[in-house]
Parts: sequence; C-alpha cells; structure tokens
Amino acid sequence: MVDENEELAPQKQSLFDVTADDILDNALRNLDDKQARDVTKKAADEVVRIAIEKRLAEHRSNAAHDEMRNLVNNANLLDQRGGDYQINSTFETATGTTQVQIRRSKSTTAIIIAAAVGLLLILSLIIFLVAR
Amino acid sequence: MLPEVVLLSLMLLVAAATYFFTRRANSPNPTRPSKAEADLVKVVLSLEQTKLEDLFRLYRQEFGAGAARYARTTYNRWKSGEVRPNRQTFNRFLMHLPDVMSFDLKCEVLRKLRQEYCSKEHYKLTVDTGNWKEMVAPLVTGMINKSYKAELPKHIEGRLRWLSADDMQVARAILAESQAQESKQAMLLIGREFINIEQLLNDTKGRGKITHTIKLPLGTITLRVKGRR
Repeated sequence: MVDENEELAPQKQSLFDVTADDILDNALRNLDDKQARDVTKKAADEVVRIAIEKRLAEHRSNAAHDEMRNLVNNANLLDQRGGDYQINSTFETATGTTQVQIRRSKSTTAIIIAAAVGLLLILSLIIFLVAR
Repeated sequence: MLPEVVLLSLMLLVAAATYFFTRRANSPNPTRPSKAEADLVKVVLSLEQTKLEDLFRLYRQEFGAGAARYARTTYNRWKSGEVRPNRQTFNRFLMHLPDVMSFDLKCEVLRKLRQEYCSKEHYKLTVDTGNWKEMVAPLVTGMINKSYKAELPKHIEGRLRWLSADDMQVARAILAESQAQESKQAMLLIGREFINIEQLLNDTKGRGKITHTIKLPLGTITLRVKGRR
C-alpha cells in the first residue's frame, strides 16, 4: 500500500537541475538506428583524425629541429666572417610556430664603448680644470 | 516676401528629402541579410575543399543547376566579403541545406562555427627553459576544461534551430571531446619542442631571442623564452 502511494506521488524534478550530461544522455537515447550509426562513425573518424594530426605534428617538430640546426650553422658562418647581422626566422612546429631572431652588432657595441670613453675623458678634463 | 517663401520652400524640400532617405535606409529589406547572417555564410564557405564540394553538390540537387552555377561563380566574392550574400542564399545554405546534409557534413559546419564563434583566450608570458611547464600547464588545463563548456553565442543558436536537434547535441559532445584531445596532445608534444628551443638558445650563446606560440582550438599561448636561470 505504501509503495502504491509512493508511485502515485508526483515526481518533483526541477528543470534547473538538468546538466549537460543529462541533455547528452537524452539526445543519445532519442537517436534512431541510422543516426546512432552516423554518430559512431563520426566518433571513430575523429579518433583517426587526431592520430593523423599527431603524426603530422611530430613530422613538423622533426623538420623544425633540422631547420633550427641549419639556422645556427648559418649564424656561426656569419660570425666567422665578422660584421653585423640579424636573422629572423619562423618555424612551423608541432604545437604552433617558433620565431627566432639572432643578431650580432659589433659596430653598435664599439660605438657605445667609444661614447663611454669619450664621456669619461670629458669628465676627467672638467675635474682637472676645476681642481686647478 | 518672395525670398522668404523661396527659402521656406527649400527648407521644406530638404526636410522632406532627409525624412525620405532616412526612412528608406532604416526600413528592413527582406532580401538583404544582416551582417551576422552574411558572416555565417562566409563561415560555411570556409569548409575544407572536399566538404565544400559535398555542399555544392547538395545545393545543386536542392536548388537546381542555375542556382548552383551562380553559387559557384560568386563563391569567392562571398567568401572575401566583396559581395554580401542575400537573404535567399543565407536561407538556402544555413536553413534548408542542413535538413538534407549528412551527419558528417553537419558536424563539419558545426566545427567551423565553433572555431569562429566560441570565445577564445590569448595569453602572453615570459618563461625560461626551466620553469615553462609550471607556467604553461595550468593554462592548457584551463583550455581543455573550456573545450567541454564552450557554447555558440545565443543569437546563432537561436537563428540556426537545427543545432538543437538530438544528433547535433551529440555532435557537439564529439567535437568538444576532440578539441580537448587536441589540447592534451599539444601539452604532450610541447616537451619535445622545448628541448629544441633550449638547444637553440644554448647554440646561439645569448644572441638569440625566441618566441613560441602554442595554437590550441580555443586560444593561443605566446611564450617569450629565455635561457635557464
């Protein structure tokens, strides 16, 4: 008797308690056979697509590694020849892009050193003149 | 007296013309879609080539050879924004065709819509080759969690009612899982990238500046990388 009363009692369920999982479960239950097959196939396709993308990403990573080594070799060659240079390079890598800038500026360093020495000389001269 | 009458008439004429043109510009044109609708057509037309061919095949099947020919010839101009597709084109591509699209094609359209309209996050930070993992991992984890919660804006959901069908609810879950897996995969691959980056920094002996951008489905993380401290 108690059980019957419980069955007759209205089910209280708040609409706001519906979660994304509930919606998905409900949607899955409502699919017909063809839709269910399509969904299974798409899910499998996605697994394959992600696996292919991973393999491609690994290839990009290996290629980027080789290209970076070439870049360093080129920079070293330029170093041996002397003079200023700047190399900007962008590599497509496994997870995105890597931008590299390598620069050497001997003349800029020389100018800064010369300016500092000049300034020191002027200061020394002023101090000398004031002290005299 | 005469100049005043002429002036008054001129003023009345100008006021009438202004009213007429303003009213005309503001009145809704049933054949002209909103910018949002035109943008949606552009998004659909950015499908990859094989899927786009499927779409045009369906278009021809549903609306005839003439309409399909026009769509193909105007495609580039719609895509570039040079020509704004009219309301009929929007209705055809985004209201009628989904009814006859395969589940796979609808998923690809949904993928494009998610790429274009789900909100994205862009981070920029400075890391060194010793601490990058503890800086980047929480951000990627955040983006993985976001993949499961990402929603299209309400105005798009409201306009494209077919997105609320049961099969599209499941499509959404598949694509969300896919985006999460792509982000997890990126996190696994980034370790190897940092070995390359560290080696490059060492080889350039302080002459190199490196910026690495991680591209994830729901955003980017731009890292300015310094040598290990």
